[in-house]
Amino acid sequence: MPAATSTKEIELIIETVGGGGGGSPPANGGRGGGDGDGKPGRNRKQPSPNRYYTGIAVALISILMFFMALASAFLVRKGTSGDWVAVHIPVLLWFNSAVLLLSSTTLEIARKRLANNDLGGFKKLWFVTTTLGVIFLLGQLVAWRQLNSQGIYLATNPASSFFYIFTGAHALHLVGGVAALIYVARRNFDVAKVTRSVAAEVTSYYWHFMDALWLFLLALLYLGK
Amino acid sequence: MATYDEGADLSVPVKPGFFRRYVFSTDHKTIGLQYLWLALAGVFVGMILATVLRVHASWPTTAIPFLGGIEATSERFAAVRLLHGSLMVFFVLTAAPQLGFGNYLLPLQIGAREMAFPSLNRLSLWMAFASLFGMAGSFFLSSHSGINLWLLSASLFSFSVLLGAFNFVTTTIDLRTEGMTLPRMPVTVWAWFINAILSMLIFSVLLAGTTAVLSDRLFGSNFFSTVSFLARQPQNLVRQGSLSILWQRLFWYFAQAEVYVAMLPCFGFTTHLIATFSRKPVWKERMVVLSLCGVGVVGFCVWGYHMFATGMNPYAPLVFSVLASSLGIPAALLMASWFGTLWNARFQLTSSMLFAIGFISLFVAGGLSGIFLARHELARASVSEDFVIGHFHLVMGVAATFAILGALFFWFPKLFGCRLNETLGKVHFWVTFAGVYCIFMPLHWLGLLTQSNTLPHAQRIALASVSSSFRTFVTVATICTVAAQSLFVLNFLGTLLRRHQKAEESNPWHATTLEWSIPSPAPEENFGPVRPRVYRGAYEFHEGFANDFMPQHLSPELLVQKVL
Repeated sequence: MPAATSTKEIELIIETVGGGGGGSPPANGGRGGGDGDGKPGRNRKQPSPNRYYTGIAVALISILMFFMALASAFLVRKGTSGDWVAVHIPVLLWFNSAVLLLSSTTLEIARKRLANNDLGGFKKLWFVTTTLGVIFLLGQLVAWRQLNSQGIYLATNPASSFFYIFTGAHALHLVGGVAALIYVARRNFDVAKVTRSVAAEVTSYYWHFMDALWLFLLALLYLGK
Repeated sequence: MATYDEGADLSVPVKPGFFRRYVFSTDHKTIGLQYLWLALAGVFVGMILATVLRVHASWPTTAIPFLGGIEATSERFAAVRLLHGSLMVFFVLTAAPQLGFGNYLLPLQIGAREMAFPSLNRLSLWMAFASLFGMAGSFFLSSHSGINLWLLSASLFSFSVLLGAFNFVTTTIDLRTEGMTLPRMPVTVWAWFINAILSMLIFSVLLAGTTAVLSDRLFGSNFFSTVSFLARQPQNLVRQGSLSILWQRLFWYFAQAEVYVAMLPCFGFTTHLIATFSRKPVWKERMVVLSLCGVGVVGFCVWGYHMFATGMNPYAPLVFSVLASSLGIPAALLMASWFGTLWNARFQLTSSMLFAIGFISLFVAGGLSGIFLARHELARASVSEDFVIGHFHLVMGVAATFAILGALFFWFPKLFGCRLNETLGKVHFWVTFAGVYCIFMPLHWLGLLTQSNTLPHAQRIALASVSSSFRTFVTVATICTVAAQSLFVLNFLGTLLRRHQKAEESNPWHATTLEWSIPSPAPEENFGPVRPRVYRGAYEFHEGFANDFMPQHLSPELLVQKVL
């Protein structure tokens, strides 16, 4: 669930703060330790990756607020209006959800492979994850077409408006996720400012978050109809 | 673009080309300065529009140059008001203290080379510019497409602020230099940091809101019902032109969230300036930081509760007054600290200090009238729009502008390498200070006079003639105050043009924070190859040393040498 994910991210921030702000200035060059790169001093080419972890946590909180705002609009609008006609959720969405959950699993296995220095295995599973992500997006598109063929459009009634904005905004965020997956697979990390494992980890947070967010939105649409 | 770059590189081999230096630069100092220029342009156009509005209110039949048709419809009038409000709230009050000064000074004050994500920072600035053009452009369109363009620009602006806030939070958490622990951070950094967290939460909700409203207007979706909103409005207003109400409503939907976003960095500036010019540590610095957090938490809770309870409906009732009065306790604590710092201090009344004290005065005056507004039955019985205008202009608009001006006088040497003229600055301060009180105090009275429904009819007619002379007085005061800003322009441009002739010491105010440890204007590399190390808090002003202050970056050994 997104709530759980966000708590994890908040802990991550606090950890980072704790690591950064000690009492008196440390005697040696390293800051607080726990950077995990194991190199003495500060490497100018590859600055501490902390900012990427903090950045993704901050971004996820912001994204969570965006969807929570829409969720509150959904609940309030549903409670106050008489023109609410529930949207019957296409069966395809359950299949799509399974695909997305599977992609999170393959992503984790891919990261394990990377940690074991198995770059070939990592790339293969990373590709599988990307493909599953694209299949999910195509599945959502098909689900929209199915609804359209039943005569349910964005403007049909409040419930359909919310259905489309939830699925649409989530799909848009997931397109970003797919782009990030492709970036991590394609980027030449010898010249990049981050290591591949950091980039993969940050991307994985985003991906799992989108996964959990989707389950939340699906539950909201299903229970709230 | 690429060809321009190459051409410029060939002709000027040392300096990068115009585009790379200004349009594509990801340097936090360039970006910060560009936000400040944006704000400067915004504030002058906004002031001219305000004058137009006042002239129209006093002499409705006067033809206004270039805006001849303004008196024709209430919709055009609403559009002028909206443009004035949008420019001031978005591009001055939000952009200048946070994105302008913040971008320039935050990395310098925490000893960082750059913001955490410089490219996103540049993207954020581009979006702000696009949003400015959009908002200005919406003024020239018909009402329907104008509102759409305005909403699109507002969502662009939200996105821009989100990117900026994302950068501020990450930078403050991760890029502080050695020894810059949280308690040692200057209060300004705290204010930017808390404000960034607050903006991140608020603007993502606003972005969701505009997305939904835009989708309603463009694609006919059914998120919010405009029809039922208009049905609840008084009949005469709807007949006159329902769109002007819509303009106003959508604007306030945004602007009420801005109360805190605009004020928080200004609290930071004021605390910083007062401590530096009082030559004393901030009184109860921890309490100040906690109060700033309090402003953020209370602000978000009150606003957030309202937003979530109404399902972010932009047509739901506004809670402006409750928002303002929820500032009460943290604001009182901040005030206590400011007076505590000033107490028994041998303070230096520079222009910058004057503006900081002016901020306190205006904030108190405006805040007191907020207490009247927060009492609902009182507000309904005897208060008109003029009172509300007087209130929020004092507490939010003018007070914040004073803090921004104080900051500008203080950091001008850092930005451009020389000080602004102090004499001109002081004259400018006093004229403006008197001017804004002459404008906004009578507006309070006007609000109370004209709408006194409890009075008998005959008395109300007698009051009407008084109020018309009040109105004229306000308009004349507005024109004079706006004209007095030419003193500032004179000072600003004059100093800027002659900046190369004046050699200035690198720390003219004897301030302690890191940005004064490097030459002015800040060099491209900020601190050079060796990052500074911080040894103490940001407000260590003590007597008994050779200097009365201890810069954050000087090691204890170096300080001892200075004393000897």
